[in-house]
Amino acid sequence: MRVISKEDFDSFVNSIINDDSLNVIGVKSKGDKFAFGTLESANDLRLDYDVTLLPPKKYFFPQRETLVTYDVATGFVAKDPADLKPTVLLGVHPYDIAALLQMDEIFRDTKSDPYYFEKRKSSIIIGLNIQNMSERCFAPLMGCATIENGYDLMLTDLGNRYAINIGSRKGEELLEKHAKNVKAALARDVQLVGQKKQEIMNMSQQEFDFPTELIPEMLSKTYDQNGFWKEHSEKCLACGSCVLVCPTCYCFDIKDDPNLSLKEGKRIRTWDGCLLEDFAKIASGENFRPTRPTRYRHRYFKKGKYLFDRFGFVSCVGCGRCSSNCLPDIANPVDLFNDMYSEVLDMGLEIDATAAPEVSIKTEGDINYVPKLATIVKKTPMTDIETLFEIKLDDGSILNQMPGQFVQVSVLGVGEAPISVSSSPTQKGMFQICVRKIGSVTTGLHRLNEGDKIGIRGPFGNGFDPEALKGKDLLFVAAGLGIAPLRSLLNYVLDNRAEYGRVIVLYGCKEPREQLFGDELVALEKRDDVEFKNTVDWCPENEVWEGNIGVITTLIPQINFDPEDTYAIVVGPPIVYKFVIADLKKRNMPDDHIIVSLERRMKCGVGKCGHCQINHIYVCKDGPVFNYSDIKGVPEAL
Amino acid sequence: MKPKVAFFDFAGCEGDQLQVANLEEEILALLGHVEVVNFREVMKEQSDNYDIAFVEGSCTRLQDEDRLKQIRKNAKIVVAIGACATIGGINSLKNYQDLDDVRRTVYGDKAQLFDTYAARPIDAVIPVDAYVHGCPIDRDEFLNVVKSLLLGKKPEIPNYPVCVECKKNENVCAFERGEFCIGPVTRAGCNSCCVNEGTKCWGCRGLVDNPNENSQKEVLIKYGLTVDDAIKKFRLYFGWQERKK
Amino acid sequence: MENKNFNVEVHHVTRVEGHGNIYVNVRNGTIERCEWNISEAPRFFEAMVVGRKWNELHHITSRICGICSIGHTLASLKATEAAMGINISDQDLKLRKLALHAENLQSHLLHIGFLVLPDLMGVGSVIPLASSNPEEVKIVLRLHRLANDMSNLICGRTTHPQRLIPGGFSKIPSMKELSGLRERLKASVSDLKAVANLLKSLSPRIPNFVRETEFIALTSPSEYALYDGNIGSTDTEAAPAKEYLSYTNEYIVPNSTAKWAKHKRESYMVGALARLNINYDKLSPLAKKVAEMFSLKPVCHNPFMNNIAQLVEVVHSVEDSIKLINELEAAGLTIQPDYNLPEIEIKAGQGVGAVEVPRGILFHDYTYNKDGICTKANCIIPTNQNHGNIQLDMKALLPKIMDKTPKEIELTLEMLVRAYDPCISCSTHAVKVHFV
Repeated sequence: MRVISKEDFDSFVNSIINDDSLNVIGVKSKGDKFAFGTLESANDLRLDYDVTLLPPKKYFFPQRETLVTYDVATGFVAKDPADLKPTVLLGVHPYDIAALLQMDEIFRDTKSDPYYFEKRKSSIIIGLNIQNMSERCFAPLMGCATIENGYDLMLTDLGNRYAINIGSRKGEELLEKHAKNVKAALARDVQLVGQKKQEIMNMSQQEFDFPTELIPEMLSKTYDQNGFWKEHSEKCLACGSCVLVCPTCYCFDIKDDPNLSLKEGKRIRTWDGCLLEDFAKIASGENFRPTRPTRYRHRYFKKGKYLFDRFGFVSCVGCGRCSSNCLPDIANPVDLFNDMYSEVLDMGLEIDATAAPEVSIKTEGDINYVPKLATIVKKTPMTDIETLFEIKLDDGSILNQMPGQFVQVSVLGVGEAPISVSSSPTQKGMFQICVRKIGSVTTGLHRLNEGDKIGIRGPFGNGFDPEALKGKDLLFVAAGLGIAPLRSLLNYVLDNRAEYGRVIVLYGCKEPREQLFGDELVALEKRDDVEFKNTVDWCPENEVWEGNIGVITTLIPQINFDPEDTYAIVVGPPIVYKFVIADLKKRNMPDDHIIVSLERRMKCGVGKCGHCQINHIYVCKDGPVFNYSDIKGVPEAL
Repeated sequence: MKPKVAFFDFAGCEGDQLQVANLEEEILALLGHVEVVNFREVMKEQSDNYDIAFVEGSCTRLQDEDRLKQIRKNAKIVVAIGACATIGGINSLKNYQDLDDVRRTVYGDKAQLFDTYAARPIDAVIPVDAYVHGCPIDRDEFLNVVKSLLLGKKPEIPNYPVCVECKKNENVCAFERGEFCIGPVTRAGCNSCCVNEGTKCWGCRGLVDNPNENSQKEVLIKYGLTVDDAIKKFRLYFGWQERKK
Repeated sequence: MENKNFNVEVHHVTRVEGHGNIYVNVRNGTIERCEWNISEAPRFFEAMVVGRKWNELHHITSRICGICSIGHTLASLKATEAAMGINISDQDLKLRKLALHAENLQSHLLHIGFLVLPDLMGVGSVIPLASSNPEEVKIVLRLHRLANDMSNLICGRTTHPQRLIPGGFSKIPSMKELSGLRERLKASVSDLKAVANLLKSLSPRIPNFVRETEFIALTSPSEYALYDGNIGSTDTEAAPAKEYLSYTNEYIVPNSTAKWAKHKRESYMVGALARLNINYDKLSPLAKKVAEMFSLKPVCHNPFMNNIAQLVEVVHSVEDSIKLINELEAAGLTIQPDYNLPEIEIKAGQGVGAVEVPRGILFHDYTYNKDGICTKANCIIPTNQNHGNIQLDMKALLPKIMDKTPKEIELTLEMLVRAYDPCISCSTHAVKVHFV
């Protein structure tokens, strides 16, 4: 530990400000509040602050950030970070440092976010022990009121001087270069710092009625307490304030921003929030978290349960920003968890602390945000609103997808959307996507022609496992557009026919003219190694249909199968799963013989942006293909 | 073939068309993509042959309806620009007063000469394809809507409140400063410009799709506004949208 | 001449703000009808503000006009401040004067460049000029951008300026930003000279028409009055703003949703020409030089010269803005809180705010009860005050141009209307009835 007089500290600050190789940010006043901002002089600093409006995460994960630029002629290019001067952040409270450490884990989970880490690794964090604590801060309850790592330097105000803990070589070098009269700390100084830290633990005006460790389990036990969640979220304005000011929130949206020339533009990432009404809404208009109680509940579960299960920490550092920024005052986690504890007692339950799980986060490379240019080789309209596109990657590479995986398709200037690959990997040299015209990107895609360029990222997701299905009887159940992803597996199986048992295909549409892959269906019907049945919900007067009329479930009684040997692969709109699975269960099909593919709103494709999340699962990463036994207990799944 | 665009105005202050004129150099870039065939404020030439019609101002008289219907017939795409056209705007303040009183206050015994009815957004009369909200519109948002239309995509208009942008801009919340802000139920897209300029949101972009009006009113009252004043706040710009509910 | 038979019907005159019509019938050389007619939808602002609070009126009345919102907002604030006895600081006064200069610049440049220049260059709009005279168009756009940037810096934005609030400003620029603006204003002088030279070369096309009339504008012993002053007239002595009703005398005419005004004669004119005629000696040095270029000096009775008066005022606004910024710097800019909200003591009262907006003198008159609720409002718009003058000018001009083709007559009459730079949407906001 060292000490420096306040006067020498000011000189140190002015010295780093004048260093052109550094970008010096510190806490300044803003109105009657505080915010991190560029320092012009040491006089700007307000180290007596209680909490900043926004956490320092804005320097590593900015509100708006260009990820990629594009040009219709040459395709997409990652945004160059340009000259990233090291950023010195001066005055960061321990809870904000704890939050950055949490974000580090989150952003390097499975794949690492290059934009975040570029900025993070060149930064210099000068922490500050809390001098004033805001009314709603409960960092002591979350174990984040003080911290022993994550900083390059840590300051403690001792009246006429600062004690400085050195956290890294980087911090030490900064002191050596810019600070004068830095002395070794005396025993008295060390003792005072310890005392201050003790005092900080008692500064909070907030208290839990229960031990903090009970949080994950309390949450699990109250998921279905609909009355509880409804009552607490009644006043929610869906304004997003709670999540936007949170130091550990990281959901984001991605949008394209064309220039006025329409020939070039940028792809931008911007903060998003699960409390906002349209967060989980897809182009068809379906919203997977349409009500206030469901969205409100999700935030607490993500922070207190899902992230805990994955990373071993409750993703809340107790800064209190959400609580003080919520106008109807319903976002105070302390109030909520205290109420939850009462609820749990009323329910007569016993809650235990959950042991921190075994965490093994691996990082396998960077997230790729940059699409490859590809060409539309063939365009085959199939119905009024669905078209089959055959795509070839311009660099000659093969997509190499597993059946059931998806790609993110970019229409330059319009945006990016997730579309399942409809062809089997056994078809080399190109791949196919079947696209329904429903939103901006899909409509834009329909307007393109053979020879036009698009962008492709991927393949993404957990696909079907053709190996595991070998030797089994397969029952394919496709409803509507569900046949598109199903076809990728079906064609794979047909290309390796001998390795599989019976192949039964059931296909249902609303009406005859909505049938997809008409020619292929005719061929399927003719094959004697495939049992094919199809149906329509109804047949309008002006159409011809001689086959089965009725919903897809009416086909199930028409086939025999041995549930022990048969695997069902079911893909269709959400409503279909409910009824088809119920009927399969009636026929004694085991849970783990049922495989489904789910759709949600997806932006990043790699389990980061948050849009596709259903409870603790990311549909883009853990799915879209799921084994029913794995998602049976996931309330938001089906 | 460059699409032909036309500008029309009804009862409004022409401030939105001024924003278009204020695009300065960007007008030249825009003219590379479209042909302006009708813009009464700026040019003499007129034409009934246009693809995209931009309409500013509210419909406040029965006789305006015919003009609107004709525009709808002529255009492939109709875009409402500015609060008066998109939600009724400030004109809808008078909807809460007795219209006969209003006329008499203004024109005395000649009142019956002057035709007026409840001010309404243009989509109360004709179907509208796109909206550029705000009082006045934001030039960049206007350009984004135009770019979207040129690219054949539906313009992305936020369905979340101004609070989202206000927080991203790290503003000190208006309520913390003794102001009564209606941002929590107002549609974002303006980048919280009024709060950025040191004040508060007045609601000029209209309500979000599913505002929690009761909660907003409770918040206003909690912070010290009277019930009457809270209701009046909603009538400044939401006069027509409130009536519709 | 007896065989002259034609009609001129211009429905919704183009290149003016708002909707107005020109109707002319000539039968056998006799003028049967010569009418300037307003068809704009009435908007009823004075009725709308009744019952609203003192801190809302400026926001609402700003919406009377998109082009002179700064002016309406300031007139509104002055009326409220007068009613409640609220004073503003000297710094805020200077900043408000800068705001009006920015508005004058923006509006006059738009008018001269986009609305009038096409007539003088024989085209329908500024759009073809973008190809035929790209340099000149770029200069106009550049100056216009400077004016808009100035409005943004002082007021937040040109149309419906957020920073202008009762008692002062919610936010003010830094001295650094004001210095930057000053540099740009200084640099704009060469562009201004180019525009002046262009207009000079086109000046033979400006009709030479004279009809004596009264001119009314704000006047002040110490400066070219825009923000503060008494009501001045070329016919009478000046009077304080609160006596405006004795000047404006509004009355309804048939076939028009706007009202007309008269003072000592059947009509009077307001606007740049009126201001120049009354306050010529207070113009800045360079502005006077530009006026001399066009031999424009008081009292000029040619309404077409209003456009040149606007050019002169543009130059004056640039020079005076530089002077104001110098004064602010010399006094040292007082920093105010990031989100400034002056504390106001609410009182019952009545107050009149008069300012000069680009088109002429504007009055807002409010009455408040003790709770700060508006019980009565009256707004008198410059363009209203001009309608009578436009009509009489038209009647006097028509016989003088009867020898031209109907198309030329139509153009000249339109040019007459445009010369006034009318703001018709504003003028139909609606006013308290006053029969004469």
